[in-house]
Amino acid sequence: MMMSGLLKKNVGRAVFRRGLASEVAPAAPKMKTFKIYRWSPDKPAEKPKLQEFQVDLNNCGPMILDALLKIKDEQDATLTLRRSCREGICGSCAMNIGGRNTLACLCKIDPDTSKQTKIYPLPHMYIVKDLVPDLTQFYQQYKSVQPYLQRKSVPEDGKENLQSIADRKKLDGLYECILCACCSTACPSYWWNQEQYLGPAVLMQAYRWLVDSRDQASTMRKEMLQNSMSLYRCHTIMNCTRTCPKGLNPGKAIAEIKKALATD
Amino acid sequence: MAKRISGLQREVLQVYRHCIRAAHRKPLTNQPNFVRYIRTEFSKYRDISRKDFSTIEHLLRVGNRRLKMYSASEVKDIH
Amino acid sequence: MLSSMLRGSSVALRTVSARSLARPVGVSAMMSPIRLYSSSLNKDEISTRIIDVVKAFDKTTASAQVTNETHFAKDLGLDSLDTVELLVAIEEEFDIEIPDKVADEIKSVGEAVKYIETNPEAN
Repeated sequence: MMMSGLLKKNVGRAVFRRGLASEVAPAAPKMKTFKIYRWSPDKPAEKPKLQEFQVDLNNCGPMILDALLKIKDEQDATLTLRRSCREGICGSCAMNIGGRNTLACLCKIDPDTSKQTKIYPLPHMYIVKDLVPDLTQFYQQYKSVQPYLQRKSVPEDGKENLQSIADRKKLDGLYECILCACCSTACPSYWWNQEQYLGPAVLMQAYRWLVDSRDQASTMRKEMLQNSMSLYRCHTIMNCTRTCPKGLNPGKAIAEIKKALATD
Repeated sequence: MAKRISGLQREVLQVYRHCIRAAHRKPLTNQPNFVRYIRTEFSKYRDISRKDFSTIEHLLRVGNRRLKMYSASEVKDIH
Repeated sequence: MLSSMLRGSSVALRTVSARSLARPVGVSAMMSPIRLYSSSLNKDEISTRIIDVVKAFDKTTASAQVTNETHFAKDLGLDSLDTVELLVAIEEEFDIEIPDKVADEIKSVGEAVKYIETNPEAN
């Protein structure tokens, strides 16, 4: 009762205030400069360059992705980027913003207009165009860890593979990964040994299947990682954990794999 | 001509060779189409400077990717 | 220009593959454990067959006299890519695959003959 009364009062006041605000002269434009990496495969001999765009933050959404789409809509339709869900669940818009790998849709625009924001594609990747990196190899590596349930037997009741609450808990912090590749492309080891080192994102998924109580292929999974390159190129630099836009901890998952292999 | 070819040039020749071989595995009547396609694609960048390593490396990657795609036995013809 | 080139190349391909079809492919090598060092191929035969392939190649100027001494680039005006194509045609004629490293060094009819001669797989 009291709550609703309060609410009503507030609403009334808000309406009143809004009425006043419309009388005020429009706010001065807040022009923010974005420097964006541009490169086109149509002109392969032309070197990549940073292109400057100005965006008025007064009529732009709060996230970097909003600014990028505004630029694409209003200034240069050739600006190329991947995006889909605009809420951090698809992992498409991973890029390097202000020196940090993150998702453009989860990254707020710095309101300080005296500072420029630089936007690059994910580092150390081959570029398809502008902000779009070639993730073919990344996906192939993901495929190589066989990221699916492997069992020799089917459940007796013919329905589900059951799991205790404690066992299910082990998957928390692992299954949430959206494979945006922010962590892998932030890892110096991955930069230098992309061909052989699997990288944090893929290793965390390898671990996700390794600890799954329902999976019966863990011996084979461990054997696949038992070589000097696939796993052991991780030197716990922890850039992966620092940069993860979902707040996950790939570094820890890799450490757990190392532990599991050591005690084998 | 007397100049020894560089490693990068050698790589280009190898990709070209693999392309031509792949073309010859296609249906006999369509082989000229593939060969013509390969020739035009390579000749597009005939005048690129031999010092322009990054561009040539990029084009090699593009070439290899396309070779893989068009090598699939499902691809019967090209225009 | 384009269509004549096309016709030329398809003719070249047809003659080459017809010949390799007629030959029983690698049968002798498969059936006997002892590899016969291409006893059936003598130098003259190799060289005439290679010269035929060179003449049939659509980028070779028709008037050019092709002999054992003919240099692909200097005498026939072929660039490096054309040479690659020509060598693939020779590969098919003799039903072999010339390794990349070797192929980069073959620059004349004579060198091609010499390579085929020493290749036991050629037939």
